[in-house]
Amino acid sequence: MSRTRQLIAALRDALGSSEPLAPAPPLPEIPAPPARVYTPRPERRPFAAEAARHTTALLGIGHVGTRYATDVVLQFQAELAVAHAAVDALLPEEWAAANGFVGVKSRVSDHREFLLRPDLGRRLDDASLATVRGKCTRHPDVQVIVADGLSAVACTGSGKALYDAVARACAARGLSVGTPVAARFARVWLEDEIGQEVGAKVAMILLGERPGLGTGDGLSAYVVYDPRVGRTDGDRNMISNIHARGIPIEEAAARLAALAAAMIEQKTSGVALDLARLGMTGERMPRAPQVRQKLVEKTGEAR
Amino acid sequence: MILEPIVPTVLSVRRLPHADPALVRAYGGDPARHTALGLVTVDQDDPTYVALDEATKHAPVDVIFAHSFYAGAAHASGRLSGEILGVFGAADPESIDQALDAFVRCLAHDACFYDADGKRTVTVFPHVIASLGEYLSKEAGLAPGEPMAYLVAPPIEATIGLDAALKAAEVRAVRVMTPPTETNFACAWLTGTLDECEAAAVAYAAAVVDVAASPRAR
Repeated sequence: MSRTRQLIAALRDALGSSEPLAPAPPLPEIPAPPARVYTPRPERRPFAAEAARHTTALLGIGHVGTRYATDVVLQFQAELAVAHAAVDALLPEEWAAANGFVGVKSRVSDHREFLLRPDLGRRLDDASLATVRGKCTRHPDVQVIVADGLSAVACTGSGKALYDAVARACAARGLSVGTPVAARFARVWLEDEIGQEVGAKVAMILLGERPGLGTGDGLSAYVVYDPRVGRTDGDRNMISNIHARGIPIEEAAARLAALAAAMIEQKTSGVALDLARLGMTGERMPRAPQVRQKLVEKTGEAR
Repeated sequence: MILEPIVPTVLSVRRLPHADPALVRAYGGDPARHTALGLVTVDQDDPTYVALDEATKHAPVDVIFAHSFYAGAAHASGRLSGEILGVFGAADPESIDQALDAFVRCLAHDACFYDADGKRTVTVFPHVIASLGEYLSKEAGLAPGEPMAYLVAPPIEATIGLDAALKAAEVRAVRVMTPPTETNFACAWLTGTLDECEAAAVAYAAAVVDVAASPRAR
């Protein structure tokens, strides 16, 4: 550095040290954010909007830059929370008696074991086995079991209604229905043991299904002919998504009764069952458009 | 911030390897010794005088011409005119090249005006030459190698600054150029020992800053 520049820099420091700090330069005026910061949402495009009308899947949710829009993220988190809550819920022990069911329980002792040990959820414990043998009508055409499965929320919500509808539909077809049973900590295959014990021609279990996004209230129905411990899923027919936004209860009940009648007629179930002879008309109608349940309110429309 | 360096801009640097003798003579050179010329224009005149002098210490060249332009760089006649034209003369182009390199280096790193009021509306040139070269020593009537304080500021600031510089150090005035000059600044050349020249330059700069900050304080 040149000598003169050193001298003048030293003089500057000497002068500056005795002076107050220079006033801060005024901040530039911050412009107001643009009125609309979202890009046009693809869901507003006709194709995506039409596609999204026919499913509750996450279609046409759009994006903001490289990420999801905030309302989509919040909706996703809310739906995931619904699913978590449904898995965590327990079926109260007194629910069966309060709704006119015979209460039974699998060999599972607590909720954690229920999630970790599917094999224990497929067999009745000793007390329940005695209950079934003692209280249930023997040799019905159809033994219907309502169970919690993976969503006690669905069971308490619409289990009773579905059972009533199924019982009515079966009775309408002239099928005798066994003593209503409600099972706690139950897996699908529990119907094999219960059906075997009561000697039913057809066992049918209605239980809460594995929750998906936003559907913690879905019921599934699994139907098997000639229930025996050791039946496999190849021997079963099932209907899933029995809830308000899926298959309505009345329609599901009619189909289940038709399935049971066909099994008794064909003396088989599962892959061997000829569904073409099910004898249900109007089955192949296009499904009505589904509407996604909004869990998150958007306070202001982007456009 | 005050006293920030205002680095000069070298607006043009050209070389005439074999200049016409009539041109050399017209610009004050000796055609017998000055066959090659180097020409520069800069937007600050006093740093250029210092840099021209500095170049004579690095190469066998003579400063044959150096004149400030009237009213300074803010009123230049053209984009490349700046405030001064300087011309080196030498016997060979290589010497001109060496001189021009030293000239540009000096302007980039050493000689420059300083901002005296933080708004660049008052500037000061309190330069200390530790060792005079051929050119300014002849202009000042001193021996080459002597130290000199080269002090420039606008008229009122320069006058008060010169008084402060003369009182602050054991220096004597070699030459005082009162306003108006070509660029309407005022100039003083002081000499003494190097320490005294430095003290004079600092006192001069401090006085200029003071006048710029409070021009009406009696």
